[in-house]
Amino acid sequence: MFDRDDELVDRVVRQLRQPVSIDPALDDRVMAEIAADPAPRATSRPRFSLRPWPWLAAAAVLGAIIIARPWTRGAENSGSNAFQFVLVAPQASSVALVGDFNDWDPARSPMRTAQGVWATTVPLAPGRYRYAFLVNGVEWRADPGAPDAHDDEFGTPSSVITVGGNGS
Amino acid sequence: MILTVLLLMTQVAVQDPRLERLDPETRSLVVSVVDSARAAGLPSEPLIQRALEGVTKGAQGPRIVAAVRRLATDLGTARGALGSGATAPELEAGVAALRAGAGPQVLTQLREARRPPLTMALAVLADLVTSGVPVDSASAIVLAFAPTARDADLVEFRRAVERDISLGAPPGAAASVRALNTGIRSTTDAAVPPGQPPRPPSRP
Amino acid sequence: MSQPLGIDSVEASDAELVRRVRTGDIGAYSTLVARYRNRLGRYAVHMLGDREDAEEALQDSFVRAYRSLDRCDDPARFGAWLYGILVNRCRTSGARAARRRRMFVRDADALNGATHADQADRVEWSDTVNRALARLAPEYREAFLLKHVEDLEYDAMARLTGAGVSALKMRVKRAREQLQRFLKEAEHV
Repeated sequence: MFDRDDELVDRVVRQLRQPVSIDPALDDRVMAEIAADPAPRATSRPRFSLRPWPWLAAAAVLGAIIIARPWTRGAENSGSNAFQFVLVAPQASSVALVGDFNDWDPARSPMRTAQGVWATTVPLAPGRYRYAFLVNGVEWRADPGAPDAHDDEFGTPSSVITVGGNGS
Repeated sequence: MILTVLLLMTQVAVQDPRLERLDPETRSLVVSVVDSARAAGLPSEPLIQRALEGVTKGAQGPRIVAAVRRLATDLGTARGALGSGATAPELEAGVAALRAGAGPQVLTQLREARRPPLTMALAVLADLVTSGVPVDSASAIVLAFAPTARDADLVEFRRAVERDISLGAPPGAAASVRALNTGIRSTTDAAVPPGQPPRPPSRP
Repeated sequence: MSQPLGIDSVEASDAELVRRVRTGDIGAYSTLVARYRNRLGRYAVHMLGDREDAEEALQDSFVRAYRSLDRCDDPARFGAWLYGILVNRCRTSGARAARRRRMFVRDADALNGATHADQADRVEWSDTVNRALARLAPEYREAFLLKHVEDLEYDAMARLTGAGVSALKMRVKRAREQLQRFLKEAEHV
């Protein structure tokens, strides 16, 4: 029994306003779908205009592992520009991926760990990217599986990944 | 004093907000390098990323400015060798090749030998040298590959060479042997022994 | 003067993130997705009545927003613009969702006569609300959710839905009346 109709609707509204929690895996699905066909977005800079060549994924990776995500939906072409970065660091409490693709910002690409294997996925447009892992916020590590950046000017190790494709 | 303030205000108007992570003095120097580079038609994003790398790694201001200046100079050199049509990824890979020791003429030869984009070819060249392959060998091999190899082939070649090196092969020998086995078709030598200057492929 | 290594990033604004995406930093878009995922998800779940449909609509909307990002005129209001894309996407999802809802309502009706333990009261109430919501006509449900759950002003709702303000007020009023009726019916079963 409800005293006032408005009160009834208010109860409904309170119920509906409760936060809803969507599986964060949706973020990955969105980014994978975008990376599979990152059509030109730049208005001022032509650097990242792209075409989705099917062989792009195979041609692009130097030292980074290509992931194949079994999405139920996605773009039609099989090539994906999402790259997985992995670091084995069982003793670490945090590992961040920093590089030219995320403004070297440790908060942008935090890595998730399973039994000491840290990983994250980043969509990359064609280009050459220096990057490194920041372990526990203080220790710099290069990617053991990737080419060295070689021209390291800041006294810490870095790695390089080159993504092919038409960059113009 | 007023002039400095006015100068700073002008720079604030054009600068990238990401550079606010830099202290003001470093920021203004970096901004002026970036602005000059832009005016010269060079890409500014690599310069900004280099500055951000320096900040994140805790480098001192002068070191950051020096690194950005050096990159701007090298981008200009790469553009001179690769032509004004070169894209930003090509220029960055070109810088890597130059810093690995390849001369500008190698970049120019590559541009003449291969359809764009040259990004992967230049990157493989730089990465081979990083692995220890003498720059002359690496240059000769990449130039020999250039007319016909796909990007994927170049990447596979580089991986194969690195595998051999990790198994104990001397880098130069690993590269030469792999190149021979890959059957490079070239009007010059099939492979140049390490230490010898590369000969440019004859033009069709 | 040098920065400490463990830098905490100041949370970037929507406008800043949009700017980055436009200059090629695709990864910046993932921050926007994470930022809006639950907020938009709430609307989609209630509007469509099905979590799977909602996630599908959400994913499609995020991707569509990315692909048409150059048409976002005011990056500082990216959230509102994204909302419009989602509202429209939920409309086209309606037909499929309608079939599911009918199934859901039928199953739920079968349970109506059972007595429930105290612990289940909250679930029971949630089910009741969802069933009532599902019985609303889509345009009434849409207006009700946008006004009372998502707290939009009528002007903003008009921009999103393309309907006039007075039409929207009428829809919200109808929605309230119908909800009251449905809930009383449920109470009396």
